[in-house]
Amino acid sequence: MNPMLTALARLLIFPGLLFAVPAAWFFLWVERKAVALMQERVGPPFMQPFWDFVKLLGKSTPPRPGIAGFIMRAWPLIAVGSAAGAVGLLPVLPASGGFEGDLILLLALLELPSICIIAAGFSSRSIFGEIGSAREAALSVSYNIVFLLAIVSIAASQRTFRLEALAAMHPTFLTVLGIVAILICLPAKLHINPFSLPNAEQEIYSGPMTEYAGPELAMWELAHGLEWVAATGLVATLIAPHIALAWGTSLLAGFIFVVLSVAVVLLLSVLAAATARLAIDSSVRFYWQCTLIFAVLAISSALFVRFWL
Amino acid sequence: MNILTMLWKNLRRGYQTLLFPARPKVTARFRGLVQFDPALCTGCAVCRMRCTSRAIEFKAGKGEFTWSYNPGQCTFCGRCVEGCTEHALKEGHTEHALSQQQDTPPVYTTQGELKTSYTVARRPPASKPVAAPVAAPTPNPAPGGAQ
Repeated sequence: MNPMLTALARLLIFPGLLFAVPAAWFFLWVERKAVALMQERVGPPFMQPFWDFVKLLGKSTPPRPGIAGFIMRAWPLIAVGSAAGAVGLLPVLPASGGFEGDLILLLALLELPSICIIAAGFSSRSIFGEIGSAREAALSVSYNIVFLLAIVSIAASQRTFRLEALAAMHPTFLTVLGIVAILICLPAKLHINPFSLPNAEQEIYSGPMTEYAGPELAMWELAHGLEWVAATGLVATLIAPHIALAWGTSLLAGFIFVVLSVAVVLLLSVLAAATARLAIDSSVRFYWQCTLIFAVLAISSALFVRFWL
Repeated sequence: MNILTMLWKNLRRGYQTLLFPARPKVTARFRGLVQFDPALCTGCAVCRMRCTSRAIEFKAGKGEFTWSYNPGQCTFCGRCVEGCTEHALKEGHTEHALSQQQDTPPVYTTQGELKTSYTVARRPPASKPVAAPVAAPTPNPAPGGAQ
């Protein structure tokens, strides 16, 4: 098949926008419902994230003239675009036409929404937004070290930066360690408890999103949902060489992908329900003191495997 | 790990939220809307003085007084009932707080809309004291009302 067409199909249909947008709402619902049930609440109805989105789209926003307003409107769109691109890069279906080094592109696209959030908080010129952005920046510096080291150690042990090859690998002790490290970083990446300080709603309203309303806020919600899909999907593709084994039947591969992603969402929901929010210094200390050692161990053993074995 | 077992128990127990028509059970020491008995009230206005949320108003007139209670402003602290020496005020045990009494929660359009007022004729004092106390109860509520 034409590689251009394949890439477009991945970006727009599966696992891109056509799949990822409903999946984003579904994952958001799964997370909210699971946390609610664990707290003995009813939780939102199934269609709630969708209706939230529709309702926000219909609202008008206060006029923000000039370049500042334009920049503020641009951040959520960039975040949605990059998160959707990250989902589109996931190697779910067979012969999906990845290229050498697409892992690095995926990591960059996964990181972009976080940078957009930081910039959006500062460009909204709200004190709560600025505090939230500062927290997000400090947090992202902390968890990204571990996150990147974990992924690089997996990639180095497999001697490739191609996602398709990583998805097809058979799990070794090293990859398991790497996946655990990625899982530890996901709560911070997705802003859920115990690392929900950038949007700590009881303290600083919504942090960087405080000044956003209407369609722009809807875009942020969508970007957040797409981040969920991308992050859990990345773990799902790394966990399961089964997806690669099931490549004969695309339907099965897609199904396993969705089931694994939902399992990761449920795992993170349990963590979110079981923990309280940490202060910024505790969060940073957690990543720098407790987790970094394991990440360094992982990458040094990966390099050892790479060069001496 | 204790929290995980707790979450698991919560999950198995299902949600505890009461959906709309269902109402929470009233406990034995529940304090509901304040009930007023005009037959027992002497118009001393101590309840008005003790009411910290200014839910009780008292107006003294000639030969009668008006006692009014605004449930929208009441915090159900029970201080008025405690202070009522004649036991004219009672805490309603079955009368639930406002939003629970009706099928739909009440909507205020003007202030004090839910207020209930009673205008009570002042009873002649008990027969034992003869002349002086007859004059005394009449001015008594007036300072109480002005406080």
